[in-house]
Amino acid sequence: MSSESGTELRASDAALIERIVQRDQAALAALYDRYAGMLSSVLNRILRDTQAAEEILQDIFFQLWRNPSPFDPARGSLPGWLMVIARNRAISRLRRHNPAAGDELSEAAAVSTINIETAVAQQQLIGRVKGALENLPAEQRAAIELAYFEGMSHSEIAQRTGDPLGTVKTRLRSAVESLKRTLHAQAASTS
Amino acid sequence: MNAHPTGEEDFDLYALGALDGDEKLAFESHLAECRQCARKLAEARGRIAMLSLAAPRVEPSPAVKQRLMAQVRTESITRSVRNIADNARRNAISDALQKANGSFEDAAAMLGIDHEALLDLAQKYDLHPASTGPHKNPRANPFPGFLGRWRAAVLVPAFAALAIATAILWQQNRNLDRQLAALRATAAQQQQQLDDARHVADLIGSSDTVTVALAQQPGQPQGSAHVMYNTKMGMLMYDGEIAPAPAAKSYELWVIPTDGKPINAGVFNPVTGRADHWMMKMPPGVEPRMFAVTLEPQGGMPQPTGPMVLIGHA
Repeated sequence: MSSESGTELRASDAALIERIVQRDQAALAALYDRYAGMLSSVLNRILRDTQAAEEILQDIFFQLWRNPSPFDPARGSLPGWLMVIARNRAISRLRRHNPAAGDELSEAAAVSTINIETAVAQQQLIGRVKGALENLPAEQRAAIELAYFEGMSHSEIAQRTGDPLGTVKTRLRSAVESLKRTLHAQAASTS
Repeated sequence: MNAHPTGEEDFDLYALGALDGDEKLAFESHLAECRQCARKLAEARGRIAMLSLAAPRVEPSPAVKQRLMAQVRTESITRSVRNIADNARRNAISDALQKANGSFEDAAAMLGIDHEALLDLAQKYDLHPASTGPHKNPRANPFPGFLGRWRAAVLVPAFAALAIATAILWQQNRNLDRQLAALRATAAQQQQQLDDARHVADLIGSSDTVTVALAQQPGQPQGSAHVMYNTKMGMLMYDGEIAPAPAAKSYELWVIPTDGKPINAGVFNPVTGRADHWMMKMPPGVEPRMFAVTLEPQGGMPQPTGPMVLIGHA
């Protein structure tokens, strides 16, 4: 399959979504080219199963094609919304919990202001997020990765690591505080 | 209502899925009643979702996109077939209502369906007696004035009464003949639509069918389309959406064969917001090299003269 053409490369996410509403298959292909790699990465990281990850990836874009209306560009960016959906779907699969088809799109109330419509912007943000995670103390990073990529709660992490529940809670709270601070500071310095 | 979460990080921890037990229940209980906190949670979800970007890069195989786009094409075609069937049903009901002069009872009898079912369908398709012609009661006396006078003229000879009755029967017979002819025409039209739908299904189901996506060309009206063709079956189907043509212009679809001149495959001018789709027979022995939609003078041209709006390579 060809990647995005010059016209599609310049189109904003909101414009492509509008064209999907008008049943434009090229617009869906363009959004796929733009975000499939990013979503495939997180799906594979959570599921560690290429086939399952590809099934969910295809299904997310097919649902977007059939009914793009749950996404509201006025409320945030498309990649943030897609990432929430992909993670929810993958964690549900991991836990053998199967929500009714289509539920995820409407339930993913997420607001994100990130704009990564170009490959360069995407790479820059990936660098910032990885940098912020690497700057965390090892035990905080491990705790937040267990929560995000394994879908574990405080108690489950404590059980897995053998650490006291209170310690796990403190680590996770500190980790999200640090991440928020670091990413916010980086965003401010690059804006 | 429970108190607001004490720390801003509670929203991130909930979005992360870290809260459990009583903490989670209390948070959700508050969230159900507090729009301000629901908004904060949506922001936290967007923030936490960025962690996805820390995952090692894994590109999906090209087959995923191929499967997705095939699924999308099939869904689009299924939707088109459904529209054809819907239109056929709507036309049949509209015709029956017209023939029954707006009487739902008579139209239901003509169509062989329950009266209530017809009312539901008419509502679904937004069909009313007013939109299908003047509302008349077909059981009403067609010659009220004449018969009124007949009732008054009780002393008119029996022969005259018989002549009038014969005339009425003759008139009714003519009406029935007309109705029968119209119903036959409707049945033929519906058969044609059914045949078209079967051809679409055959074309989609054949492993020899090739699908070609037609892409919008720079600077041309916005649109996209695809063509499915099968040289063995000698069939071609176009399905696409494109902005209406400028004044005095039409779009024209061309099959550009590997050998020979472009072949006209249809002239069209879409209505805003509607998809165009049609099927046609492919001339025997034609091997398409590409398909193109050009902008031509209204009514089309024997050979392409205008700019290419959509292009797809076979």
